[in-house]
Amino acid sequence: MQEKAFDIKTAARRVWRGYKAFLLFTPFIMTLPLWAERLGKAISLNIVYLMRMVGTFTLVAVGLNLLMGYAGQASLGHGAFMGIGAYTSAILATRWGWPAWIGILLGTLVAAAVGYLVAPILRLRGHYLAMATLGLGIVAYIFFREMIALTEGNVGIREIPKLNFLGMVISSRNGEFYFVWIIAIIVLLMCQNLVRSRVGRAIRAFHQSEVAARVMGVNVPSYKMKVFVLSAALGGLAGGIYSHFQGYINPSQFDVMLSIQLVVMVVVGGMESIWGSVAGASLVVFLPSVVEALPKWLGNVPAWVRQYSNYEGLVFGAILVLTMIFLPKGITTSTVDFFHRKIRKAAALMGEESTDSPPRGE
Amino acid sequence: MADFFSNLPQYLVNGLGSGCIYILMAMGFSLIYASTGIINFAQGEFAAIGALVAYTFAVKLGLSLPLAVPLSVALVGFIGLVLERSVILPLREKGALTAIIGTIGASIFLKSGARIIWPEEAYKVPEFTQGQFNLPKVSFNAQLLWMLGLTFLVVVSVYVLMNRTKLGKGLRACAINPEAASLVGINVSVMSMAAFSMAALLGGLAGLVSAPFANYRMGLYLGIKGFTAAVIGGLGDVYGAVLGGLTVGLLEEVVAGFLSVALGISSGYKDAVAVVLLVSVLLFRPQGLVGRGLVEKV
Repeated sequence: MQEKAFDIKTAARRVWRGYKAFLLFTPFIMTLPLWAERLGKAISLNIVYLMRMVGTFTLVAVGLNLLMGYAGQASLGHGAFMGIGAYTSAILATRWGWPAWIGILLGTLVAAAVGYLVAPILRLRGHYLAMATLGLGIVAYIFFREMIALTEGNVGIREIPKLNFLGMVISSRNGEFYFVWIIAIIVLLMCQNLVRSRVGRAIRAFHQSEVAARVMGVNVPSYKMKVFVLSAALGGLAGGIYSHFQGYINPSQFDVMLSIQLVVMVVVGGMESIWGSVAGASLVVFLPSVVEALPKWLGNVPAWVRQYSNYEGLVFGAILVLTMIFLPKGITTSTVDFFHRKIRKAAALMGEESTDSPPRGE
Repeated sequence: MADFFSNLPQYLVNGLGSGCIYILMAMGFSLIYASTGIINFAQGEFAAIGALVAYTFAVKLGLSLPLAVPLSVALVGFIGLVLERSVILPLREKGALTAIIGTIGASIFLKSGARIIWPEEAYKVPEFTQGQFNLPKVSFNAQLLWMLGLTFLVVVSVYVLMNRTKLGKGLRACAINPEAASLVGINVSVMSMAAFSMAALLGGLAGLVSAPFANYRMGLYLGIKGFTAAVIGGLGDVYGAVLGGLTVGLLEEVVAGFLSVALGISSGYKDAVAVVLLVSVLLFRPQGLVGRGLVEKV
């Protein structure tokens, strides 16, 4: 076959087909601060402020999704990696005055290193792995609480300096927003390329059947370890950024409830879905603020509705169970599937076959 | 070091007490695992709710203990039944990850619900009989004797139930092969319901005899320690739970005592002992201390 000359049209079409979601989402998020301020005022939500938290949690959720959704390895202790990243960066910044971005990088590395050290638990399967990771999350929490010389224990670390990057201080809300979302877009892009690559096919293969994957020559333990370390690193990265956003951290921010919230993000957003992590993170971050804003939208609401933190676990528990029963693929994949079915049906009615099938694993 | 050895008898007695709790918790885990292949992450919540309900019945409503205790345990058993019907039944045969997420969801739902009803940090659950025994180097409450007696009673009744009744035979059949069991006319769904209710009963009992104080958060640690005990005894082996429970209870007390008295490390690390034990056993002897090797069917 003859080599085709470079054709700008075909190339553009290929980029569009492969990265449709990115080409739509990136302009949306990059222009968000321009219009969200006024919209936010109208509906009593501080959208930019919340979206920068969504960006932070997207980083860790997408990592956990690679591990849980794609590779099928449950982790109920991922909050620990966020904690490790957060504490590393916070300690370096407050004790030694290190610039935040170096602290965040080191926090990412430390989280990855801890992930590498505990990776032997990936030999466990299913329920055993889930319980062991839950246990490691508890151990991490106990260490945050008890290593007082390093972490200040329950008192927590105060006055963590604002973000800065190469000497540039980032303290405005919009600055923080762009900082985290530029990183998040890059990470999302990397993760999507990863799951579409040979590695992605390999990890999905052993999700289906470990034995079959091994027979096909996939080095399952090595891939498991690598995915786990990658997701730990992303947890550390998110934790480091989080600590500089918050300015204050204590052990209870990184307890089992955080790990379960991360699982909620992955499961509800959609396992085996890169964009599901964004949707899940948005849901978990926006929910409390939406409930808080309810009185302003509806006028009167019962007093107990406003005390969201009291029944947060009730909501998350119910959401987890109901999602597993009714929408096991999560909201993103289910919505996309729904529209694809509609489109196909419409196309069939018009008497033509739709050939536009979505690429797997997005 | 000398301090540690002079305290040792006390550690052992304390460990015996918490060991009983872990035995009951571990039996719950094993019963459910054996008959459904599921590990119930909400098992710890059964214990917390058992203790808190007992507080409400005995202290708030002023019922006498012989009435309040069976009522609380029965109520928790009922919660177990509802949990099985509402969460486990719809998710059956959908894989381990689904079951894990389902029971985790149930667990935080129950915990958060308990927090709304019992928001305080500590509720005093009455002891069955007052009184303290002081021996040289060792002292313990009368409650310890109740724990030992009740645990013994429960182990014996579970033994009889599993080996001498039709229900027990059904449960064991489901454990060996659910499909074959259903072919010979055993209703696997009912067996799963029975296992969850019984596990909830055991959990509720464990909770209410365990602590002088209860709160909505206590389930997490009781759950993970009970699970450790179940794994040490060989998960699914209802009697292995006895060995596992005592091992966890005694080791935890002795190691924590050694760390704090001999090495001067904060006793806040005590709860980490069981987890470290859990991970090491899972990695090096996943079949339990006495079990045979695991064979996985493909």
